[in-house]
Amino acid sequence: MGGKVSCTLGEVKNRADLIVYWGGNPAECHPRHFTKYSLMPKGRFVPNGRKDRTMILVDIRETASAKAADIFLQVRPAKDFEMITVLRALIKEQPVDTKLVAETGLTLEELTDFAQRLKKAKFGVFFFGMGLSMTRGKHMNSAALLTLAAELNAFTKFVAMPMRGHGNVTGGDVIMRWTTGYPFGVNLARGYPRFNPGEYSTIDLLIRGDTDAVLVLGADPGATMPQPAIDHMVRVPTIVLDPKVTHTSKIARVHITTAVTGISAPGTAYRMDEIPLPLKPPLKSPYPTDEEVIRRIYQAVAKKPPLMPPVRPKVPRV
Amino acid sequence: MPDQLFTLHPIRTSKQGVQINIGKYHDEYDTMCNLVTMHPEDMRELRITANSSIRIRTADGEAVFKCQEGKVPRGMIFVPYGPPTCRLMGGNTDGTGMPTSKGWEVTVEPLE
Repeated sequence: MGGKVSCTLGEVKNRADLIVYWGGNPAECHPRHFTKYSLMPKGRFVPNGRKDRTMILVDIRETASAKAADIFLQVRPAKDFEMITVLRALIKEQPVDTKLVAETGLTLEELTDFAQRLKKAKFGVFFFGMGLSMTRGKHMNSAALLTLAAELNAFTKFVAMPMRGHGNVTGGDVIMRWTTGYPFGVNLARGYPRFNPGEYSTIDLLIRGDTDAVLVLGADPGATMPQPAIDHMVRVPTIVLDPKVTHTSKIARVHITTAVTGISAPGTAYRMDEIPLPLKPPLKSPYPTDEEVIRRIYQAVAKKPPLMPPVRPKVPRV
Repeated sequence: MPDQLFTLHPIRTSKQGVQINIGKYHDEYDTMCNLVTMHPEDMRELRITANSSIRIRTADGEAVFKCQEGKVPRGMIFVPYGPPTCRLMGGNTDGTGMPTSKGWEVTVEPLE
């Protein structure tokens, strides 16, 4: 397993005739996705727009997105990996375990029909959400779906894309990738990047109490992270850069109000397909931008004497 | 008799997304994050009336919510992410960096 077969949302708009949303509710969480990129637009190879496309929704409940779907498949909670495994076997015409099929909450006929539609598509796309990546199995569920997408390329063109949220999370991943080689959970303490999720990832560091200070930039972990991680942010000096008062800024020692990126501060945001979009602010703000604050903190820290004397390499006596 | 187990699924809603941009320190935001949706039959079995308070417990914590009935599968409870769900979330990431954020096993206790 590994790797991501992907494309841009422009390709989805112009080519995709089979759209599968898995573990996501775009009608609520990405309300412009249907109309701008995936379902409704008329594209070069799908000239009739919605009429040329089929949409399948896989989820544990009938959400508002089900109304827009041609087929709704209700999978049992935390059985996505099993369902993907069955589909991987079915597309290769391998026998499947009926017990495994029963566990998914779907019938073999439903899954066989789904597998056939995946193979017959001219250009298919999986859009997967937190219902896949944050339930039991976590990254293994995502990896299984990416593998299914890769394997479908033996029959047709198929891609997969995560339904990213929260403004510019994709930008954070992309920048970390091309600066350190890793998307998250990177430790730079030794002067070079080391990657180890579970050890250097934010929540693990906070819960173990490994950090003696926290800098929060454009996020609100005080309203999203587990309580033990929030408790540690209360214990140590926490600095928050945010335009608004948030649950994190309330528990922070220092809250620096900054301009709103895209509204009153310029910058670059990455779309979920990793396309960088320049942001042109229409308004001016009396507050500094995040970039300006970080630069000033960096300059102030650089003026301080080093905590430890620099290590001088030993020169052997001749 | 052991407590009946449900699975709790924190979710996002478009109303919540709009409210985040207005501000999180508003009564509307608190109301959204404190309102769970259950199947009507599950509520009847536990003798929970609409808009009454319930206490939800996980292995890691507990929080009090208001309860409403809705079109959700039996045995499942849905609630928008927010500070109350943080109190129910455990810190174990299974070495992935990501805590399990959906599908927690919970018990439900009516408070009224």
